[in-house]
Amino acid sequence: MDQFLNVLVFGLLLGGIYGLVSIGLNLIFGVVRIVNFAQGELVMFGMYGCYWAYVQLGMNPYLSVLVVAPLVGLLGVAIQRLVIQPLHNESNMQIFATFGLLMMFQNIMLAMSRGEAFSIGGTMGAEVLSVGDLKISVVRLVTLVATTLITIGLHVFLRQTMMGKAIRAVTQDKRAARVMGINVEKTFLITFGIGAALAGMAGALLTPIYSITPGVGGNFIMAAFAVVVLGGLGSVWGAYFGGLIVGVVEAFAGYYIDPALKSAVWFLIFLVVLIVRPAGLMGQVGAEEVGFREQN
Amino acid sequence: MSTPLLEVTNVSKHFLGLKAVDGVSLSVQKGEIVSIIGPNGAGKTTFFNLLTGQLEPTAGEVKLRGQVINRLAPHDRARQGMGRTFQIAKPLIALNALENVMIGAFMRHSSMSVATDKAMTVLERVGLAHLARRRAGDLTLSERRRLEVARAMALEPEIVLLDEVMAGLNQSEVGNAIELLQGLHADGLTFLIIEHNLKVVRAFSERVVVLDRGRWIGEGTADEILTSPAVIKAYLGEGHMGGQSKQTTEVNA
Amino acid sequence: MNKIDTNHEPVIESGKSVWLKYLGGMALAFLPFMLLIEDPHWLNIIAFTYLMAGLASSWNIIGGFGGQFSLGHGVFFGIGAYMTAKLYITLGWSPWGIMLMAAALAALVSVLISWPTFRLRGPFFAIATLAFNEVAFVIANHFDSVTGGPRGLMIPFKAGFQNMIFKERWQYALLMFAFVALVIAISIGVRRSRLGYYLLAVREDEDSARASGIHVLQVKLQGMALSAALTAIGGTLFTMYLRFIDPPTLFNLQEVGVKFALLSLIGGVGTIAGPLLGAALIVPFENFLRAELANALPGVNLAVLGLLMVLAALFMKRGIVGAYEDLMKHWRHKKGQS
Repeated sequence: MDQFLNVLVFGLLLGGIYGLVSIGLNLIFGVVRIVNFAQGELVMFGMYGCYWAYVQLGMNPYLSVLVVAPLVGLLGVAIQRLVIQPLHNESNMQIFATFGLLMMFQNIMLAMSRGEAFSIGGTMGAEVLSVGDLKISVVRLVTLVATTLITIGLHVFLRQTMMGKAIRAVTQDKRAARVMGINVEKTFLITFGIGAALAGMAGALLTPIYSITPGVGGNFIMAAFAVVVLGGLGSVWGAYFGGLIVGVVEAFAGYYIDPALKSAVWFLIFLVVLIVRPAGLMGQVGAEEVGFREQN
Repeated sequence: MSTPLLEVTNVSKHFLGLKAVDGVSLSVQKGEIVSIIGPNGAGKTTFFNLLTGQLEPTAGEVKLRGQVINRLAPHDRARQGMGRTFQIAKPLIALNALENVMIGAFMRHSSMSVATDKAMTVLERVGLAHLARRRAGDLTLSERRRLEVARAMALEPEIVLLDEVMAGLNQSEVGNAIELLQGLHADGLTFLIIEHNLKVVRAFSERVVVLDRGRWIGEGTADEILTSPAVIKAYLGEGHMGGQSKQTTEVNA
Repeated sequence: MNKIDTNHEPVIESGKSVWLKYLGGMALAFLPFMLLIEDPHWLNIIAFTYLMAGLASSWNIIGGFGGQFSLGHGVFFGIGAYMTAKLYITLGWSPWGIMLMAAALAALVSVLISWPTFRLRGPFFAIATLAFNEVAFVIANHFDSVTGGPRGLMIPFKAGFQNMIFKERWQYALLMFAFVALVIAISIGVRRSRLGYYLLAVREDEDSARASGIHVLQVKLQGMALSAALTAIGGTLFTMYLRFIDPPTLFNLQEVGVKFALLSLIGGVGTIAGPLLGAALIVPFENFLRAELANALPGVNLAVLGLLMVLAALFMKRGIVGAYEDLMKHWRHKKGQS
């Protein structure tokens, strides 16, 4: 019975991580309507940036977020402007382009690091909070808290600020938003920037937990797809709760069946949701057409 | 009265609270030409999508030759004799005109040579034979529209649904197009068309149905409808051939 | 409007003309093999180029003609590979026979996994196929009694045509050539058939296709099944050439699954010659990168490929074939002007 609680807690904490990585992806999905295959690599850049700041400048990872996130955000803006925007109605080419970015980013990092893995974790990563029989990893708890705060922050941003409202309008209906005078291209740029910055943030926050390798993004991207689909396109809280659910399901499947079946879990969630309830749990975007509503 | 070729009874389509089509009924007898008119956003194309099966109705029935086809897939409806064109034509631009029409011809003739011959015949019928080897991407708008009609004709349909096939054509092109359609009608085709161009409606309709905001608001001959106050009100200044007339038909105001 | 059309060219290119072009093209492709037959290093590259060209052409049937960008063809490749290795090692059956069985199994699997996923739109379909690839990787690692798990399977050398194991490298290269020649011939056959036209129509616009009487799902499944079967055959050939397979080799997206699509894109997705041209350009080039630079800079070959993918998607969507066609059009236009 306590194992159950431990697994549950582990799952929730894991879910916090997934939520964190997925929030940016979800925002981009919902607004720009593209699948950013390179999102995991943006997280990876966040991790490397944070590591560099830690090693070269002695910066605490939680502090370097403030530097790393905006930088990755700028990269996101560049990607949107240079790669995504020119391909705006060609979804097949977008797939190639973002996958190409994934390959580029991963392998440039591989070449630069010569395949060496880095790690910050150490003592920080090992700290554990004991609550009764439960063992809670401190850094993971911090991540869950951070994810919650970020989700709340994003929610407020989307509701209360002009930019946020513009983003929501574009998510709902690009054409109508344009008619209302919203600069859709600028909104895309800003959204991609925010989505990338969130990824960078995620990376920085995750450095005490994961070992930093060029391929680390691959750990998250499939799970992130499952989270976004489960939570529903365009829904910030959907990504949050979706993350928790995916984390918990993965934890239980891993404990009671086989940890290697992670990807099967993500994949099953992804498929089942898309077939049974394509709008996801809290999809803002109507999903009359299964999987994706096209906007021309 | 014989069974209508196409009969629509109280058909509705709801999208998340929006009633795109709301309780529309319509019937088309074999050999008739019926036009559907209405302001933008009236739900006309959605209605067509319900007829051809791209969408399933939330309520109501669609019957072809007396059989309910609500659940019949679009490709099966094509096989049953429903041809259709789309508002935004999507020919295969890299292929030539003949190949585009062959795509329709293949439905009834799986052999390449038979389909080729059939497609050529259809091209001749619509007056595009001289452009058979022209890339569809290089055709003018009016030629593309003809190509759309040709591809639908290649299905050997009984009823053809045209969605704003005249949009963007100039006066002489419209005249030629009407001539073509009248010829096809004389060959025995039934037509249900969505049209904005009221001159076309006048020249090429036996009956006109008016939709507004998803609802049926009137039906009658072209003359009756185009002078009906309710219809004029629905359009509210959208360029119509208005005029006073003592004659009105049954109209739900 | 012109007078009586004196152009006696048929509206659709005649079979004779097409197949003559095919023979010419394949002869051209055969040339490097003949010229470099004495050089084992180059023979290896040529063999791989032919194999990848065949695999890219197989992908092209559903990805190019049909517009369904599967990133999961590694699954079918893996089915061909594992079935061949396992049945040959444990039962001693001839890989030629297993090859056909694997093709059939891959076709079946492709239909089973595509049937629910084909309703998903572009990117989601791609993600689903990617996910299948990942699952296949996990399964291959997990069921090690069958697949040898992470250690993989090794096929002992025992030469013989029956075993599809050859003493000379040139024999393998010839086998690979036969493969690509077969796949391209099949591609031409498909392209010039009702299925081919239907695939193109589905790619262009599914609603229009349905209105033209096309059973879109059925057409996609047919294209996918054929594509999967041919990919599995490639998997068999790969296995008997290398005589060693393991999960990373087969299911690595960047090296395998996505590569088939990448080669087609660079050569000209949806064309007949595209995948072959793409392979001819990229495989030797990547080999060079890997050999020269990968020691100093691991992964640089893949980074360059990734860059090429981005650039191709942005600037050369119709690939080498498209660029050539544009050039021809430009020259013809200029000639017409002068």
